[in-house]
Amino acid sequence: MPILSFILKRVIQAGFVLVAVTLFVSFAIRLTGDPAVMMLRESANVTPEDLARIREGLGLNRPFLVQYGDFIGGLLTGELGNSFFRGAIAPLISGALGATLLLALTSLAVSLLISVPLGIYAATHRGSFGDQLVRVLSLAGLSFPNFWLGIMLVLIFSVTLRWLPPSGFIGPQSLIMPAVTIGVILTSTNLRIVRTTMLDVLSSQFIMVARAKGLSQTAVIYKHALRNSSIALVTYLGLQFGSLMGGLVVVELVFNWPGMGTLAIEAIAQRDYPILQTVISILAVLIVAVNLLVDLTYMLLDPRIRLE
Amino acid sequence: MTDLKSRLLIAALAATTALTAAPALAEGTLTVAQRQDPANWDPVDTFLVAWGSVASNIYDGLVRRDENLDLQPGLAESWEVLDEGMRIRFQLREGVQFHNGEPFNAEAVKYTFDRLLGEVGGAGPQQSNYTTIDRVEVVDATTVDFHMAQPDPVILTKLSGYGAMIVPPQYIEENGQEHFDMNPVGTGPFKFVSYEQGARIELKANADYFEGAPELDGLVFRFIREDATRLAELQSGGVDLVSDVAFSAVPTIEAADNAGIVAVAGPSIYSLALRTKDAVTEDVRVRRALNMAIDKQALIDAFLAGRGSPIASLQGELSFGHDPELEGYPFDPQQAMALLEEAGVAPGTEMTIDYRAGNSTFNEVAQALTGFFAAVGLNVGLNPIEDGVFLNEIVPQGRTNEMYQFSWGGWTFDFDNTAYLTYHEGEKWNPYGTSDEMNALLDEQRQSPDQKLREEILQKVAQLAHEEAYHIPLYNEETVYAVADRVEGFVPAPDKRLRLTDVSVAE
Repeated sequence: MPILSFILKRVIQAGFVLVAVTLFVSFAIRLTGDPAVMMLRESANVTPEDLARIREGLGLNRPFLVQYGDFIGGLLTGELGNSFFRGAIAPLISGALGATLLLALTSLAVSLLISVPLGIYAATHRGSFGDQLVRVLSLAGLSFPNFWLGIMLVLIFSVTLRWLPPSGFIGPQSLIMPAVTIGVILTSTNLRIVRTTMLDVLSSQFIMVARAKGLSQTAVIYKHALRNSSIALVTYLGLQFGSLMGGLVVVELVFNWPGMGTLAIEAIAQRDYPILQTVISILAVLIVAVNLLVDLTYMLLDPRIRLE
Repeated sequence: MTDLKSRLLIAALAATTALTAAPALAEGTLTVAQRQDPANWDPVDTFLVAWGSVASNIYDGLVRRDENLDLQPGLAESWEVLDEGMRIRFQLREGVQFHNGEPFNAEAVKYTFDRLLGEVGGAGPQQSNYTTIDRVEVVDATTVDFHMAQPDPVILTKLSGYGAMIVPPQYIEENGQEHFDMNPVGTGPFKFVSYEQGARIELKANADYFEGAPELDGLVFRFIREDATRLAELQSGGVDLVSDVAFSAVPTIEAADNAGIVAVAGPSIYSLALRTKDAVTEDVRVRRALNMAIDKQALIDAFLAGRGSPIASLQGELSFGHDPELEGYPFDPQQAMALLEEAGVAPGTEMTIDYRAGNSTFNEVAQALTGFFAAVGLNVGLNPIEDGVFLNEIVPQGRTNEMYQFSWGGWTFDFDNTAYLTYHEGEKWNPYGTSDEMNALLDEQRQSPDQKLREEILQKVAQLAHEEAYHIPLYNEETVYAVADRVEGFVPAPDKRLRLTDVSVAE
């Protein structure tokens, strides 16, 4: 059962990562500011007793490890408790997580739909005008900051043409601009990976053998070359996931997307420890899970990894 | 808007409707976009202006402030200050109901303040504003007495404040605190319909409102954090009214063909506080010189689109305690250099401004300030700091550099609110101390029920602070709204509360 023991090992590793991340975040955020002070920041006549009373009300006068234990216990049992400022956490998180994942997966789909065919085209037509054009476009895509691209799309499609809603989530049409914004940025790098690895694979010996056997161009490219070059792409996507989540924060802000990034920013500004700890822990779990998934995908793509 | 203009506008709108596919706004419903979602609708749990702009439509207090900041009857028809300020008797309005049908009466008032001053209020930010109230006594169904722990000259104004909004006892007891946080019920002109965290809250007109039903059928507030996105929504017809408009966007909106700017004097003032201990700014001559180095009007014209006024003390003209006679230091670089030389400050001396990084307008102002200081020979650097760190670690701990941002929006429009906080010993915005004379003045006006005397003392406080140059008072900002042309009758109040009873939208 090599796969099972492999998964088990990774799950244990993930547990350690989670403990380290949550411990660090919970500890660090408590050093940067006091929610009681933030709560009373616009009030005059604040006495030390007022601050103490609020800290007590929020349970912040308990030892750090007790607070941390409560938080981890809640995380494990699904009892996420209450935010300092905004009521129960569980519905907040489930809404935001759904919105963020929807956006992330749609962006990824947009990017793969563009980058894989274009990458293959560029690799099989190396040096042609089309190849040059693809490379220039991908460089241009890389050079756009995502918030700028987002604002430009809003100006064109919402303000001028009035085709799409500029912000919020009122239906599938709301997904288009944010997904394209992130998708374009992802496409630029994915395109380069697909093109480069395809070129690499296409010049290797087994492709020559396949061609020598008389396989059609389509079979060579889609059956043999693509499968082999996708290992690099999958690795890259896995690594990219973390930064994708980071990029989402900015794009969510531009489009007022009700996701995890928006939730986290608000929580940081207010020093809302419970929300922030939960958001970061869940993102950490996600990133670890995606990397595990990437490792498992390798096994499907490359039988040699399965045997080792 | 003139009749002719609005008729032309309607004609133009009718002509273009067929051609454009603007997102349709519901008839009779006004949609507002604001930066922040207060995320909790309980009056005792909030201090946010974002709460006030929405919830002023849901709740009423015993008294209410109008657009001129004058006190008007709210749920109380009249009141009487008795026993030298130690007791206030309110006569309540009869026949008023909460949105859930529950009657409003003296018990509801007592319940509201017992809750505010008790355990529930203790975990929130509002209680500290009302600690001068000892208890509320029910005299009969429509009469209550507020017994004070000490006289509080500002208490009537405070009773129009967020924490003093009257809440429905039965509703809260039956449904619980958490339900009330998310499903507010009051007596106000609009009833709560639905709330989606981080996105929107929807209200509908309360046809039985005691001052008559509002003009609008419904009211929607959308929460959009990004400045540019709020404006894009306005320009694309997704919202009718935008608050928290950045000054840099004012020219864009003025040039837009479907919207305009409405501005009103606001409570917010901006200044640089000066470190009066263990720094070169310890010397009052240096502090005066720094004051003379700044051309305030130039800052207002360049960065506030002209929407502000220079100030000589930490208050605007609407503030109680404002002294029109008090003149700020003149913009006089020559005199400033002479003073610096006299104080032994060599040209090229380094100083730093600490400021809150989140405000894009003040970021620009701070950069310009370094230019003004450079012109009198000082080498001033900038140190932007995240809000939480600034408010927790830097200011109250006395860890600032020579100059640090002080901005404040005292919603009471009473100088006591700002002055006590910045000049009285032991207060968080006064980490370096002022003087015994200052402390005595501030204490004296707090004890006095005589408003005339209080005003004189507060003016003296401002005068003293001016002489000592504890701050460089910069400007009083106007509050700027971007308003779609179809909106009629929008008159904003200076305290940033949006009470939209008289507003309507053209069909």
